[in-house]
Amino acid sequence: MKKVKSFVIGVLVLFLALLMVKPMVWAGEEYKVTLEEWAKNKKFFDDPRPFLKELHPKKILPPDVYAKLTYDVEAMKNLWAKVVGFRAPEVVGKIAPEIKPGHYTYKDKEKYPGFKELMTPEYYKRFNPGAPPFAGNFSEIRIVPTRQYYYALPVAEATQKNEGSSKLDDNGILKQGTYVAGFPFPRPSGKLMANQLIYNYLYRYFNYESTCYALSHSEGFSKSLRRDRHTEGDNYSLRLQGRVTMEPYGWFDERAKKKGEDKSYLVTYTAPRDYVGNVVSWSIYLDPDKFNSLLFYVSALRRVRIMTATDLQQPGGTGDIIFADPEMYGQQLSTKIYPYKCEVISEREYLVPIVTDGSEYFSSEGAEMRNFQFERRPVYVVKMTQLDKNFVYSFRILYIDKETFLIHAIENYDQKGRLYRSAYTLYSFVDEMGMPISSILNLIDHLDMHSTLTLMFYTPAPWIGRKHTELQGLFAKGK
Amino acid sequence: MKKRFLILFFVVGLTIVLAASSAIAERLVVFGRPLDLYFYITQNLSYSLLDKDKYDTVKGFQGALNNLLVEAGYGATDQLKFYVSAGLTTDFMYKIREDGRAWNEKLFDQSSKNLYMDHKYWQILKEAHATWTPGNFFFRVGKQIVKWGETDGFRLMDQINPSDSRRGFADVEFETSVIPIWLFRAEYYLPQKPSWLQSLGFEFVFNPNADFIPNQGPRTGNDEGGIWAPNALARGPFPFGEARVGSTPMDIKEPGSFNSDGYEYAFRAKGVIKDAVITLNYFYGRDNDPVLLTAPIPPKITVASDGRLILHPFLEGKYPRLHFVGGTFAKDITPLRVDFLGGISPVIRLETFYAFNSTFVNNKNAYERYDEFRWAVGVDWGVRIPILNPTNSFSISPQFYQRTIIDYPEINELKGLKKNNYTTTLAISTKYFHQKLTPSVFWMYDITNKANMYRLQAIYDLNDSWQFVLGALWLHGEKFGKGFQLFDNKDYLFFKVRYKWG
Repeated sequence: MKKVKSFVIGVLVLFLALLMVKPMVWAGEEYKVTLEEWAKNKKFFDDPRPFLKELHPKKILPPDVYAKLTYDVEAMKNLWAKVVGFRAPEVVGKIAPEIKPGHYTYKDKEKYPGFKELMTPEYYKRFNPGAPPFAGNFSEIRIVPTRQYYYALPVAEATQKNEGSSKLDDNGILKQGTYVAGFPFPRPSGKLMANQLIYNYLYRYFNYESTCYALSHSEGFSKSLRRDRHTEGDNYSLRLQGRVTMEPYGWFDERAKKKGEDKSYLVTYTAPRDYVGNVVSWSIYLDPDKFNSLLFYVSALRRVRIMTATDLQQPGGTGDIIFADPEMYGQQLSTKIYPYKCEVISEREYLVPIVTDGSEYFSSEGAEMRNFQFERRPVYVVKMTQLDKNFVYSFRILYIDKETFLIHAIENYDQKGRLYRSAYTLYSFVDEMGMPISSILNLIDHLDMHSTLTLMFYTPAPWIGRKHTELQGLFAKGK
Repeated sequence: MKKRFLILFFVVGLTIVLAASSAIAERLVVFGRPLDLYFYITQNLSYSLLDKDKYDTVKGFQGALNNLLVEAGYGATDQLKFYVSAGLTTDFMYKIREDGRAWNEKLFDQSSKNLYMDHKYWQILKEAHATWTPGNFFFRVGKQIVKWGETDGFRLMDQINPSDSRRGFADVEFETSVIPIWLFRAEYYLPQKPSWLQSLGFEFVFNPNADFIPNQGPRTGNDEGGIWAPNALARGPFPFGEARVGSTPMDIKEPGSFNSDGYEYAFRAKGVIKDAVITLNYFYGRDNDPVLLTAPIPPKITVASDGRLILHPFLEGKYPRLHFVGGTFAKDITPLRVDFLGGISPVIRLETFYAFNSTFVNNKNAYERYDEFRWAVGVDWGVRIPILNPTNSFSISPQFYQRTIIDYPEINELKGLKKNNYTTTLAISTKYFHQKLTPSVFWMYDITNKANMYRLQAIYDLNDSWQFVLGALWLHGEKFGKGFQLFDNKDYLFFKVRYKWG
C-alpha cells in the first residue's frame, strides 16, 4: 500500500509538472473557438447578443490565414453574378409585392394575405407565437431587402473554369471523373436540371469549404415543448476533393484521389453525460454505389466499433433526422441504392429566415425564434420521388436557393404521403470570405411530434488533417 | 425499520435536490480551460422469481444496489487532458434485511463485509489519468481502462483490465464491472502511409503492477458471495447425499506491488484497410483469474440452516502466466445488404488468440500446462420489420465462441474444461417512441455445459437525465455443478432508476 501511495504521488507530481510546462507542450496551430468561448458569448436561450461580431473570423484566425481566405468583395460579387447569370435582388419582388421590407407580426397575416403565398406552407404555419407542438415558431419578423450572395473568389473561378466538364449520364447520375472543382452545374437547365441541382448541393462550398471546426448545441422538445434531449459537441470536418480555398488544392492527397473520397468528419460530444467520450468518424465517398465508412468509439466499451453505414433510415441525433441526411440531405443519386426521380416543380421566390450578426435567439418560453430577419430568395422547388418502396420516404420536397445552391428547407413525406420530417437551415454569411455558414438548424418530426433546435458555429480550419478525422482522432478524443 | 430506510431516503432525496438545481449544471472554467463535471446515481432493486425456499437465495427482494459515480475531465490544453472518476457502490439490502430471519440463517448477512459497501481505494477511485496527444503520439498514464477485442458478453482478447462480477450477470454497469488499473499506454500513428492503408497505429501498454487486482468473481458460500454465491454442491456420503461447498479460505500467491513478476506488456498494431478495422495483438502478463488447488488439509465443516453440511476446503493457488498472440477483424459487408430486409448490411467481427503454456488444474488436483486457441465471431445485422417497428430497425447480434485446449490430456480431465468448449449468444434490440424505449432480449447458451442465460429488458429514457430499466434474468443448466446450473436458483426481476447529470 505504501508503494502504491508513492506511485500515486509520483503520478500526481507528473501531472503537475505537465501542467507547468503546458506552454512548452507540443502544440499544433489549432486556432478555433472553444465551446466555453462560444457559451460565454452566446447562451442558447434568451440571449440577443450579436455574438457573430465578437467571434468574427478576423478575431479568431491568425492574420496570415485570415488574409488568405478573404477576397475583394466587389470582384466576388461580379464574378458570381457572371457565373450564375443573375443577382438575387433583380429576380425577386414579384410575389406579394405589397409586402415590403419592414417589421411584421403574426397578426399581419390577416392584413397581408400575400404572406401565405410568399412563405413555404410550413413557415407560414409557424408564423405564430411559440406554442406546442413544435419549437421554432416566430411571432414577429423583420423583412430586409434581398441581397446578393456569392462565393469565395477561388470557388467562383473554379466553377467558371470547369463549367461544362461535369457530365450526367442518361439516368442523371454524375459520371465519375468528370467533376473537377467548383459547383458542377452553375446554370442548371434541361430535363436533368433537378439532378444538377442536387449535385450542386452535394458538392457545396459552404462552411469554409467543409474544412472547418464546428461547435453545436441542440435542444430537443416533446410535443408539449418540454425539453427532453440536449446534446453539445464539436466536430472536425475535412474536404478531400475539389479544394480551392485551402491547400492542398484539388485532392487532399493521393489516397483521396484513388479512393474517390469526398469528405471525412469526426464528431465528439460533451453532453449529455451518456454521450460524453463517444466519438464518430465518418468517411464519405463520391461513388454513389459505394457506402460510406462509419467508425464509432464507444465510451461505454472503450473500444472502436465499426458500424454499418447502410442503415440510412435509422434516426440519429435527437431522433428528428435520419442517417441519410447529415446537413439536411446527404444521399448520393444512384440507380442502385434508393434511386430517385428528380424534377423541378417550381422556380419562384420565397421569404426565408436568415442569420445576420448572431443577435437572433430562441426564447425559453415557447421555444420561439426571435430577432430573425427574413429575406425574399429566388428558389428552385425540387421534388425527389423515391422509387424504392422500402425507403422510409416516398418523396421529398427541397427548397434550393438559386443563387447559392443551398437548401433552405426540406420536407420528407412517408410512404403514406404524410409529412414525416422536415428540416430548415438558416444561413449567416461572411462577406469578405464569400462564405455562407449554416448557423441554425430546425428539425421537426411531424408524426412523433418532436422537434429540435440547433445552434452551430464554424471556424475555418486549414490545420485539420486526417489525423483529426480518422482512427487516431477516435482514440485521441474518446474517453 | 425506520433506520433501514433512512439511507435510501437520503439518497433519493439528494437526487431530487440535485435534479432540481440548475446552479450546478454549468460547465466550469478553470484557468481559462474547461472543467467538465458529470455524475450519475442509480438505484436498483432485484426481486427473486423463485417461489420455493432455497438455501442459496431469499424470496422477495434480494438486492438494492446503489451506484454513485462522479467524473471530472479537465482539458488543460488541446493536447493535455486529465480525467478522474470516483464511485461508491452500496447494496442497501444488507441494511434493509439486517434483522431478517432467513437472511441471517442463510448467512447472507456475513457477506456484508464484502458486498455491503465497496470500500477499497481502487473500488472508490475508478480512473485517474493524464492524456497527452502531441502530433501523432498518444500517451496516457494513470489508472485507466484498455479494452481489446470485438466480442460482447465474454472476454477473449480483453485481458488487460480485471472485471468485477461479484454481483451477477444481468444488470451490470460498465463503470462498476471493469476495474481500471495503473497502466502506462503509448501510441503512435503513422502520418505517411501507402494509399491502400487508411490508418495505422501502434499501441504499447505497460502494467508496472502498482497494485495487483485480479478478477472479482462470485465467491462460494453465502457468507462470502452473498446472494450471488453459486449453489455448489458436492455429492457423497453426506446427510441428504450432498454437502454444500461454502466459503473457502484461500492462499493465492500474488505478484508483489511493483515486482517484476507482475509486470505486463501488451502491444497492438491497429489499422484500417479497405474500410476494415484490423488489429494484431500481443500480450505477456498474468491471467486475472487464479488457478486453484485444494490444499492437503481437511476442510472445515459447518452446518447450514437446512441441515446440510457446508464444506470449507482450503484452497491455494496462483495467477499464472498468460502469453498470447492474436488479432481482430471487423468490416461492414455491404454486398450482403438485402432490400427486403431493409437494405442494411451486416458488420462481421472476428477475434482470436493463441496462448502459450497456459496453466490449468486437472481432476487430480495438479497443475498442467497446454497451449490453447480461442476464437469468436460475431455479426451485427440491422433488419427492418415495418409491421413490428415502422421507424427503427431491429439489431440482431449473434456470436459464437470456441476455446480449444491443444493436446488435451487423454487421462486426467481438466477442471471445468473440455478439449473444445463452445458458447453462443444472441442479442436483439430495437427502439420505439422516438428512440426513448429500447426493449431487448439477450440469450447466452453454454453449448458445452448445456446451460442457458436469458435476459429480457426494457430501457426507457424519459429525457437526458432520467432513465428507467425493467428486466428479468433466468439462468438454467442441465449438467450438475457446471456452467449456469450453479445459478439455477438466481432467477430474478430487476428495476433500476438512473439519474444522470452533466
